[in-house]
Amino acid sequence: MFKKLSFLMLVFLLIFNFAVFTAYASNPINVVDDMGFLSDSDIQELQGRIDKIKEQFRLDVVIVITNKMNGKSSMDYADDYYDYNGYGIDSQYSGLLMLINMKDREVWISTTGRAIDIFTDGRISDMTGRIASYLSNANYKRACHVFLDDVINYSNKGVPSSQYREERLPDFYQQNPTYLQRVSRLVKSWPVYIIPLIISIVATIIITRSSKGRVTIDNRTYEEPGSFVLTQNTDKFIRETTTASKIQTDSYDGRSGRNSSYNRSSTHRSSSGRTHGGGGRNF
Amino acid sequence: MSSVKEYKCPNCNAPLEFNPPTQNWKCHYCAGEFTIDQVDTVYNDEASEEDMQELDSYKCSSCGAELIADATTSATFCLYCKSPTIIKTRFSGKFKPKSVIPFRLTKEEAKEIYRKWITKKLFAPKQFKLKEEVDKVTGIYAPFWLFDCKAAGVIIGEGTKVLKWRDGEYRYTQTNYYQVTRRGAAYYKRIPVDASKKLSDHYMLLAEPYYYSDLKDFSMKYMSGFMAERYDVESNNAEFTMKVRVQSYLEERLRSTINGYNSFSVRERNVDVSNIEASYAMLPIYLLINRFKGKDHVFIINGQTGKVVGDTPISHLRQFVFALVAFVVVWIICVFGGALFV
Repeated sequence: MFKKLSFLMLVFLLIFNFAVFTAYASNPINVVDDMGFLSDSDIQELQGRIDKIKEQFRLDVVIVITNKMNGKSSMDYADDYYDYNGYGIDSQYSGLLMLINMKDREVWISTTGRAIDIFTDGRISDMTGRIASYLSNANYKRACHVFLDDVINYSNKGVPSSQYREERLPDFYQQNPTYLQRVSRLVKSWPVYIIPLIISIVATIIITRSSKGRVTIDNRTYEEPGSFVLTQNTDKFIRETTTASKIQTDSYDGRSGRNSSYNRSSTHRSSSGRTHGGGGRNF
Repeated sequence: MSSVKEYKCPNCNAPLEFNPPTQNWKCHYCAGEFTIDQVDTVYNDEASEEDMQELDSYKCSSCGAELIADATTSATFCLYCKSPTIIKTRFSGKFKPKSVIPFRLTKEEAKEIYRKWITKKLFAPKQFKLKEEVDKVTGIYAPFWLFDCKAAGVIIGEGTKVLKWRDGEYRYTQTNYYQVTRRGAAYYKRIPVDASKKLSDHYMLLAEPYYYSDLKDFSMKYMSGFMAERYDVESNNAEFTMKVRVQSYLEERLRSTINGYNSFSVRERNVDVSNIEASYAMLPIYLLINRFKGKDHVFIINGQTGKVVGDTPISHLRQFVFALVAFVVVWIICVFGGALFV
């Protein structure tokens, strides 16, 4: 009896476990449109495609269109929306979220778990580039489908061979700080002290020394015109030396140049403590 | 015969001074102006060829006051009556100059040049920019030795010609070495060498050149209205300075005939200076000496051409303020301008 009971308990626990697993694995609403840009049938169509992606690649895909940013940056909003609304598949909460931020007119893709490795900075930059061109023309439905096309395309390709992670702010925030942020960053950097110091010292020295005056006579000033005669003018060859040096060709470095940042997955921590990747651009 | 000489206006007997713009003699009292011939008919005595005995003191022939003058001062102004006075003994005998270039620039023009020059000197202490300071500019006939000579010499050196080419994966550099010899000679005319110990040789060299088209036979009357110094550097001492200069002139001249080489360095040089002839001349300068913290700072204008040389005293406070302002300005440009681009 007791044995039977414990067996039932085990079965029950297993079922419960599975239920919990599948429950946190899927928030079933993957398309959120606060702006009403998409019709109900559009949303259904997109949801249908996303469900297939979730099944096929085990990646959660979320599309959020909103203008209520609550004072957050696109990156923070996208990360938090993903983290606090129960998205993500598997123990790493793998998946990605595309935020169309109508307030700042930014598109942001936030990646989590395995998606961080698949969607490198370069791929995200390519994706947001394509998407932004449709968003600029207010073609929101097409933008969402392009996004899903890219998700499928890159998921099929998988993780690039030379992909690596690096903890740093995404390029979008590195390249587009506000004017005041750039000023304060410069104030803290050393070249803005060294350069003026050198210039001021050099200028002071030049002005200090400039006071003397210059010699304006040369070897011809006092020469009697026509009196110079050259009586010997010989150039005798003595010897020659020849050296040969091998021309150094720069060997291609897979991690140098465009490739290094292309295959980099920049990561950062969101407010929930999870690690995200991502990137975006204005449209 | 008086040992000092004054030129007086034939009309009113007031002092007669040389007037650079017209190259005539002018009386500032009756505004009469006289050409060289007119002056010569009144004053036909010239500096003596004979050595004259130096006297212990000289008296102004206008007011009788004793003249205050250095041992080398040969033309000056009476301290009391401001009459231009020429000490004849110091232009006589071996001190009789052969030639002179009269002033072309007036004192007013010289002051204006100085004023412009000193206002541009950011680091000059303020007291040197005041009007009283500017008024101290003095016209002086400075003693010079003018040397004529012949220079003959040779330079021998090594020249290289470099060829570069590529062949496949290799870059070749071929250097050809040549022994280059240039031998030549030239005549030099009227190389001026400062003959006064009071004046800095360096600044006198910077004040050159003088144009000898204005060179006139010496006459004391050109000195009237200016200061003058007699030489205290003997011609054989000055010759040494001149030889060094001529040697470098000929070397440079020979060097300028060498071309077509990537590099050239002199290994051997030998220049001989001969046929040296010195003549004594008075050349015009405007001089101002700024004394600052125990050091003299010389300012010289070429009295013929207006060329300016000299150095100013440096105020370290002004230097520091300038450096600070420059630093702050460049810093602001770097930070606020740089932020537009980074």
